[in-house]
Amino acid sequence: MQRIPIKLAKAGMVLAKDAVTPEGQVLCGAGTSLSEELIARLKRQGVLVISVQGHPVRLPGEMVLSEKLKELDRRFSKVKDDPVLRALKHLIGEHLVIEEKGEEFLEKLKKGS
Amino acid sequence: MDKAEIKKRLNDIQSLPTLPPIVSKLNEMVADEEITAVKLGKVIEKDQVLTSKLLKMVNSSFFGFPQRISTVSNAIVLLGFNVIKTLIVTSSIFEVMQASDVGLFEHSLGCATACGIIAKRRDIKNPEEVSTAGLIHDLGKIVLRSELPDEYEAIVAKAKEKGLYMRDMEKATIGVGHGEIGGILARQWNLPERLVFPIEYHHKPEQAPDFKEIAAIVHFSDILIRAVGFGNGGDPWVPPLDHGAWERIKLTKSQMKEVIAELDEKLLELQDFTLDIKVEG
Ligand SMILES: [Fe+2]
Ligand SMILES: [Fe+2]
Repeated sequence: MQRIPIKLAKAGMVLAKDAVTPEGQVLCGAGTSLSEELIARLKRQGVLVISVQGHPVRLPGEMVLSEKLKELDRRFSKVKDDPVLRALKHLIGEHLVIEEKGEEFLEKLKKGS
Repeated sequence: MDKAEIKKRLNDIQSLPTLPPIVSKLNEMVADEEITAVKLGKVIEKDQVLTSKLLKMVNSSFFGFPQRISTVSNAIVLLGFNVIKTLIVTSSIFEVMQASDVGLFEHSLGCATACGIIAKRRDIKNPEEVSTAGLIHDLGKIVLRSELPDEYEAIVAKAKEKGLYMRDMEKATIGVGHGEIGGILARQWNLPERLVFPIEYHHKPEQAPDFKEIAAIVHFSDILIRAVGFGNGGDPWVPPLDHGAWERIKLTKSQMKEVIAELDEKLLELQDFTLDIKVEG
């Protein structure tokens, strides 16, 4: 799932969560596939950000997955010997993979290694 | 400079915005046992700027109320007076923080978010109080920066150069850490001990004289928010975990997974919130 400004929405993207206005009004539900008309309507109604399935947009300054994982390693470099924190790092890494590539990809990765 | 001198400097803070005058009035009113949330709310609402700031904070995603809170008295009923008072007392300092150190501002909001998620899972009576402790846990850093700018710069430079934790450099340079400094301030403001101790002991929660569970949550949330790489707590490293504190609040692997996913989602909402503030500011 990725959260993107409505400006970057494209037809064909699928909502991962309900599209809501800043006031909290729900305009259309999770699972809806976006069309040009729908995007225009959401903009008109004041929607600013939406959550879409997958990771279709690379936001400015956003790292690619491999860089994100490298950064994660670097952040944990002083606490490598702590088993609890090692487990925490592992779970965050898995979360990053799932967010970008989906659950199935992670399962395949686990089987492959 | 020794501890006594630092304390003296802190007692006489010049460069930080002073406490809003409304705070002493509110303290007096709260001492009166008959006072109601409605009456208190009315006093606060006379100050429109403060009211709008306050409502913005209480409606932000780290408290996570499903419905919009639209009046101050509602906010007092839902979050408790301790939280409201803390938000009022610290509102000007947060403005300073936002302007001078966005990374730390985000670190603070993120830590508050993590605190709320964990506190709710542990069925703590007033989880908003724990979020608030998380929100202000690093206030000592802001004070350090504005009150002792030369020392602060030396600390940052040394930490960077040697690749060490800020907290260790603070101890080495001025003899006290930002946790203690935050504790001194929180006491000056007459915040309750359930907020003072978690701030003061957020690096060594098991040494807190009381409220060890809240201190443990703030301690772990501080670690967690750095672990996911949100905001900037001064140096880029995940700090060491106190295992005594972890035993107190420990999460299973699958609970941890859920917490990470929930945190990630809330942090995205939080980005909208900080973006909103930036746009307005
Ligand atoms: Fe800290
Ligand atoms: Fe911190």
